[in-house]
Amino acid sequence: VSHTESINKHVDEITLLMYVERQLDRASAQEVSLHTQTCTKCMNLLHALDRESRLLTRAMLEQDEALPARIAEFHARAKRNMQWIWGLVFGLAVLGVYVLYNTYVQPWEQSVEQAGFGGTNLVNLLIFQGAFWKGWQSMFTLFEVFALMATGGAGMFALRKYLRRGSAMAVVMASLGLLAAVSPAPASAIEVRKGDTVTVGKDEKIKGDILLTGERVRVEGDIDGDLIIFSHDVDISGHISGDVLGGGQNVRISGPVDGNVRVAANTLTLMGTVGRNLMVWAQHVTLENGGSVGRSVMSFSQYFAIEGHVGQNVTAYDQITSITGTVAGSVQAHGESLTIGSNAQIDGQVKFEGEKPPDVATGAKLASAVDYTKSDHHASHERSGSYYVWRIIWTAAFLLFGLVLFSIMPEFSKDTVTFGEHYGASFGLGVLVLFGVPIAAIIMCITVIGLLLGISTMFLWLVVLMAAEIVVGTIVGQWVLGRATEFWPLISRMAAGVVLVRIITSVPFIGGWASFVVGLWGMGAISLALYRRLQPVVAPNIPSMPIGPGMTPLPSNTTVAGI
Amino acid sequence: MSAPGKTEPTELIVRARTGDTQAWGELYREYAPAIFRFCRRAMPTREDAEDATMEIFMKLLDKLGQYDQTRSFTAWLYKMAANHCWDMLRRKKARHEKDTDDVEDVILEAPEPSQLEKLIEERSSEEVRKALDKLGVRARMALVMRYYSDMSYDEIADALGVRRAFVGVVLLRARHELRSALGENSALAVGGTR
Repeated sequence: VSHTESINKHVDEITLLMYVERQLDRASAQEVSLHTQTCTKCMNLLHALDRESRLLTRAMLEQDEALPARIAEFHARAKRNMQWIWGLVFGLAVLGVYVLYNTYVQPWEQSVEQAGFGGTNLVNLLIFQGAFWKGWQSMFTLFEVFALMATGGAGMFALRKYLRRGSAMAVVMASLGLLAAVSPAPASAIEVRKGDTVTVGKDEKIKGDILLTGERVRVEGDIDGDLIIFSHDVDISGHISGDVLGGGQNVRISGPVDGNVRVAANTLTLMGTVGRNLMVWAQHVTLENGGSVGRSVMSFSQYFAIEGHVGQNVTAYDQITSITGTVAGSVQAHGESLTIGSNAQIDGQVKFEGEKPPDVATGAKLASAVDYTKSDHHASHERSGSYYVWRIIWTAAFLLFGLVLFSIMPEFSKDTVTFGEHYGASFGLGVLVLFGVPIAAIIMCITVIGLLLGISTMFLWLVVLMAAEIVVGTIVGQWVLGRATEFWPLISRMAAGVVLVRIITSVPFIGGWASFVVGLWGMGAISLALYRRLQPVVAPNIPSMPIGPGMTPLPSNTTVAGI
Repeated sequence: MSAPGKTEPTELIVRARTGDTQAWGELYREYAPAIFRFCRRAMPTREDAEDATMEIFMKLLDKLGQYDQTRSFTAWLYKMAANHCWDMLRRKKARHEKDTDDVEDVILEAPEPSQLEKLIEERSSEEVRKALDKLGVRARMALVMRYYSDMSYDEIADALGVRRAFVGVVLLRARHELRSALGENSALAVGGTR
């Protein structure tokens, strides 16, 4: 930028301003200085700008109002409590992930391996090998974008306090870019067909993957790739050389599928042959006589009937499982009942964990007797003595849990109990947290990349649910024994209240509803207390600190360059 | 940005960093009024300024360990305050305020020096403060950073997320907005020196 044109032209205002503020380089400053020595108008403007700077500085630095009482003292204690809480939350989250992995993921992983998904672990299978998601990446571009946006948003939210907007955005964008870079690229452009009734005709031969969505989907032709379907009514009679993925209300597969079938449906009827594995989430699944699955079957259904042939193992988490066909491998079933018909033939071991003993017909050909384990589950009206013993043990555990909570977070615990007495707000927020958080956690898990966050959130939700009983117990205890603020009196009220609450929640029929109310109420109170803690920390009613002339806080920092 | 006439509270900072609550209290009492006033100038309402002040000190509590003692604490604190206020303002602006900063193409005419002098003579500090409230958020923020906390053009550029070369323009526009708010713009705009 040329700041001075010539000695005869006036200097522009911004150059004069920058000169006043000593922001010009040496050469430009000398030019301005030279010019203003001979140009009265520019010199006058220079003086005026300098005076304006001084007026601005004076106006800003004047102590025109006293320091508000609210900020006269810093309420650091609350801040430290928050650090406690977040440290605890982080620790619990790590512990939760570890426990969840050991309790649920690892056994599940073994089940998956037994179901013939190769000798690899679940996470590897799902995320890195992408076996489950094969085809989905090309199909769900929008879904992917949402998932990345959700994760990016969460990242931005988490980083917002630590990074300024530009750098936070850069970090998130770089992360997303990296994710996009490491994600396997879609193999090829996918063909998409939409409409009320979508048909792949008998004479059609589709090369590559195809996505079909509509009220009714008919596939009579051959597809040399994966078939992805989302429809109310699906009928597949053509030859599919890849996988069948997707969902519908009624799905019927009568044609051969060389790859896997992974379907969520209300009713799935499989009459054709599946070259590899079948994984299904459905209400009613039938592998009909004549139908076959080359490798393994994994089912999460209400009713699952195997009338055809399974080449390897069956893993069933069904309410009712019925086998009248042949299974070349083992069967591992969990649920209410297992029926093995007289025509059934199972070459491997049969394990069943359920409420009723398996019903095995006399003509059934089994490699060995069914290994049956009775499920621990008891209906509420069938409570045995051991149920009550366990309730007592759990009550003791809850009391210990409450004692720990009150010890490590005394202020927060008291706040929570106080907020619990705001019944409307607690119940309202309770509804939101009790239902909203699991939904959010599931959504996070669905996005795969948010799996860890989703599981951690779910674990925290469970911890809060357990703590809810402590909160409500303390409130009830205070109703009975009167209010208390000291530690041990408060603990005694908590103990009495928790015992009362657990007695009420143990009563058959009403106990379940009572637990629900306790969960809502307690969760709401905890969430409310947490929400308030997350608000700017203030110290209400602190008397105003006298602000005298001797307490000029900051030194004069008003150096404005003169000329 | 320095603190002439005032020594840096080095010892207090060292003690506060080790968790000495008394030192922290002293540090807070010494700096809170100035930071509150900074926020009061920068933020649209008193409540916002109070919130911002509390949040800045919470941030300070977290970040005190990161403070480089070879640099000016006051400058560092003001920079943190400026960043925080600007973040808050941007969030508020994004939510419900119209953007008044998109006037980059408007050509500014330089004031007549005598009229500018007259304006400066006639207007009191209080009137200037009231006029500040009428400015757009970026203009006000730029003026506060420059004339309250004496931040350099580089620091202002960094806080506002603009190029350094643009800071002068922002400040000049802010001054024009201010003159306009003081009700003298039409008189000042005539007979430019451009």
